[in-house]
Amino acid sequence: MSTAALELTGLKKSFGKAEIIRGIDLSIGKAERHAIIGPNGAGKSTLFNLITARFPPSAGTVKLHGEDLAGLEPYQINRKGLSRSFQITNIFPKMTVFENVRCALLWSQGYKYSFWNLVNRSRALTEGAEAILEQINLLERRNLPAGTLSYAEQRALEIGITIAGGADVIMLDEPTAGMSHSETDYITDLIMKVTEGKTLIMVEHDMGVVFGLADRISVLVYGEIIATGKPEDVRADPRVQEAYLGAALEAEH
Amino acid sequence: MSDQLTTDPSKPAQRMRAGSMTLTLGPWIVAAIALMVMPYIFTSNSALTIMNQMWITVVFALAYNMLLGQGGMLSFGHAVYMGLGGFFCMHLMNYIEDFGLAFPLPLLPLFGGLFGMGFAMIIGSFSTSGAGTRFAMISLGVGELIAACSVIIVAFFGGEEGISGDRTYGLPFFGVEFLKQIEVYYLISFWLMLSAVLMYLFSRTPVGRMANAVRDNPERAQFLGYSARWVRFYSFCASGFFCGIAGGLFAISYEILTEENLNATSSGVILLVTFLGGVGFFFGPIIGAIAFTLLQTVLSLQTELWAIYVGALFLATVMFFPGGLAGLMMMHVPALRLGKASGLVMPYIKTLIPGAIGVLGVCALIEMTFHFRHAAKGDHEMTLFWTTFDSHTVMPWLIAGIIAAVGLGVARATAPAMKEAWDEANTAGGAS
Amino acid sequence: MELILVNVIDGLVTGLLLFMLSAGLTLIFSMMGVLNFAHASFYMLGAYFAYQISLALGFWVGLLIAPLIVGVMGAGVERYGLRRVHQYGHVPELIFTFGLALLIEELVQFVWGKNQMAYDIPDILNFTAFSIAGNSIPAYKIFMIFISVGIFMGLLYVLTKTRVGMIIQAALSYPRTVEALGHNVPLIFMGVFGVGTALAGVAGVIAGPVLGTFPGMAFVLGSIVFVTIVIGGLGSLWGALVASLLIGWITTFAKSYNIAMSDILNGIGIATPENLSDNMFRDLWTVTSPQIADILPYILMVLILIFRPAGLFGKRES
Repeated sequence: MSTAALELTGLKKSFGKAEIIRGIDLSIGKAERHAIIGPNGAGKSTLFNLITARFPPSAGTVKLHGEDLAGLEPYQINRKGLSRSFQITNIFPKMTVFENVRCALLWSQGYKYSFWNLVNRSRALTEGAEAILEQINLLERRNLPAGTLSYAEQRALEIGITIAGGADVIMLDEPTAGMSHSETDYITDLIMKVTEGKTLIMVEHDMGVVFGLADRISVLVYGEIIATGKPEDVRADPRVQEAYLGAALEAEH
Repeated sequence: MSDQLTTDPSKPAQRMRAGSMTLTLGPWIVAAIALMVMPYIFTSNSALTIMNQMWITVVFALAYNMLLGQGGMLSFGHAVYMGLGGFFCMHLMNYIEDFGLAFPLPLLPLFGGLFGMGFAMIIGSFSTSGAGTRFAMISLGVGELIAACSVIIVAFFGGEEGISGDRTYGLPFFGVEFLKQIEVYYLISFWLMLSAVLMYLFSRTPVGRMANAVRDNPERAQFLGYSARWVRFYSFCASGFFCGIAGGLFAISYEILTEENLNATSSGVILLVTFLGGVGFFFGPIIGAIAFTLLQTVLSLQTELWAIYVGALFLATVMFFPGGLAGLMMMHVPALRLGKASGLVMPYIKTLIPGAIGVLGVCALIEMTFHFRHAAKGDHEMTLFWTTFDSHTVMPWLIAGIIAAVGLGVARATAPAMKEAWDEANTAGGAS
Repeated sequence: MELILVNVIDGLVTGLLLFMLSAGLTLIFSMMGVLNFAHASFYMLGAYFAYQISLALGFWVGLLIAPLIVGVMGAGVERYGLRRVHQYGHVPELIFTFGLALLIEELVQFVWGKNQMAYDIPDILNFTAFSIAGNSIPAYKIFMIFISVGIFMGLLYVLTKTRVGMIIQAALSYPRTVEALGHNVPLIFMGVFGVGTALAGVAGVIAGPVLGTFPGMAFVLGSIVFVTIVIGGLGSLWGALVASLLIGWITTFAKSYNIAMSDILNGIGIATPENLSDNMFRDLWTVTSPQIADILPYILMVLILIFRPAGLFGKRES
């Protein structure tokens, strides 16, 4: 069996006396599309933050392509091929759309902390950024300050920034939060397009999106995963139906 | 793919690149020409001194803005890097004099820069882990520490008298020994252009762009593969380098450095200058430095209270136009682009000129109050706006009061019309 | 032995004075996230107002009224100045208070001139309370201690035992929640700012006669107050107290015991170099503790910021 793209073993996190994550074991394979669902407060964002080292776990390990991520800073993890988006849009509002994407490309194109290259002059940067903008369909908006885009466009830009660096494990935190039906469909198509061949881990509430995109689903309730498997299997699981407002699962389909 | 020697209009990337390079080259050329020509317009020695001071302040302010505007880091003790660079250069100058080294003076600021950068590396190693309050506090503490040490460590800082030297002992540079003020002017202008260009280019490099990114959203920058801390560190060191250059230029120009160059007041002044000019634009600090130097030299000759006016101006800037003077100017760009800026001229005249007169009236009242309260007994005469009058009679007060009230009143009355004109000038469409 | 006692009392006076200033500052920071650079300026205004009032109505009336005036001014600054700048972010807020400090200093010079004011200790307190080993302890200093301790007790009582105090404590950490519960949080902010500056004013009133009432007094004390709250931990009242006393005692002891660096260096085995006046490090050898007494707090602050960034009692930054 090949190394899992992301492997969580016995992961726990407590804040003071409150145990938010109570022991998670999860293995996500390469190029798998995995959705994590669960009621509000289950700990989904905390889980994301643990994986991306926003704070350290209280116990357990996180392994990326078999490598233990303990003690690493977020930027180091990012350099190893893991990239994430945020639940609340996290872009650079004062920079133009084009510059947002270009900044996302800098490290992966090897520029590091150089002060002897001019970014304007690099054709690779410009063309790379344009290619990404093309993919997320924001090419006409390239010179607007990112803060002036509509909400859905900003979310699309967020996804663009997330994948720009060429990471092969992409984590999206509620990418369609707050969107209308048509916007949701649009973003879902976008996600499918840009994560072709990559490992995708997604936190989502919208069941339509989940069932359309995911290869496997995990259900997170009160800091524990109560079920993992193919979408149809999980949907039929009685524990899931009981814990996660079974009516919601039925209502979507 | 062919090389980018030919600009292919159908490729937007190439067209943009070529276009923007020629556009941005323009202001620099104009600035260079202006720098060279100015001594011939303002020929007096005092004008030269003022200009030298201006250009040194510009370099310092631009270096300071690398942190404040570009990096979002507020430093309260930044004068130390300029001061240390300056002191180092003074010692170097004395060394050259004492040992007869064949060292050309124009190279001196470079060493000031290196020394400043060296110190920035030491301090930055622990101060740049945070960007906000913690960074500001460390900068304050370090600034006070070094300023206090400067009185104690007499060997390096010269104690109360500072360190003085003579710049004319260096290796003659193409025959120039820098005895004359105008020679120093051109040396400073050269370093000013060089530093400004380098600092501008720095903001266009990967680390410069990421400095902006880290300023706006450090967490996001982490997930682009960049350590926010390292980015800030590099910005800090680069800023220290150019501060040191400013210090070296100061050493050359004034031939003396004292504790005053390092202290909290100097740090405060550069913050004021940079913010007044506008931190959001590259040329903001340039405007701020020029405006402040002019205010300081010209205004201080007219009144003892110039510090109050500057302080009030500063507060007004923070409260009403935090983009600074540069922000005020750039605010008009949309109107200019729409071609509707001419519609603003009349409303501006109707509102701003009475407003300015009103403000002058208030200033007159303030001046008179000060004179009334603090002048020597029996000295009732004072001069203001080219008129001499007795500050203990009622008439001047009445006149000033009326001018103030009328001026401000008119401004207040016409302000809504100005606002309307502003909105009109900024909306596309309608009559041009 | 007796000298130690004298220094303990002196240090206590300084420390408590510092505490009155830093308590208000740390409360303001804790609630509004803004470091009020102009805090020491309100201290100065307290002294000047008290002086002016005392000319007409005596010291005690000044002690009562001056802090009130300062507090009202502080509340006004918050309401009309700070609140406006708040929307632009933290950096403009800091710059605003910085500019305010500059302006207040200039205004004070404008009104009262640049010389020191003859603001004196009131006659009833102008005697020696007692002597220790030939050093006389003025009664005024004892008075200062009592006032400071009294204020601290009062503050503690209001914050922990009264309803208003509870609301303030809650608003310190979760202003939005408190607002959602129906309390007028902007009013609370204004009140806390006003009380904080009034405290600074009180410090000015009682310190003015002893430390001198002159336009530079804010500048002299200003940065030390910041150092104090950073060492104590931003937002922590206990931290402010501990740090203030610590700094008070450290600076007093350093000034009174003339410890020379050369003695310390000799003590650990490094011999004094022969030709000291030409030696590059001669300043290091000749430095004595009174010289560095005033910069010890800064050294301490930098050390704390490196090794324990949250301060002695501060909450860790997330």
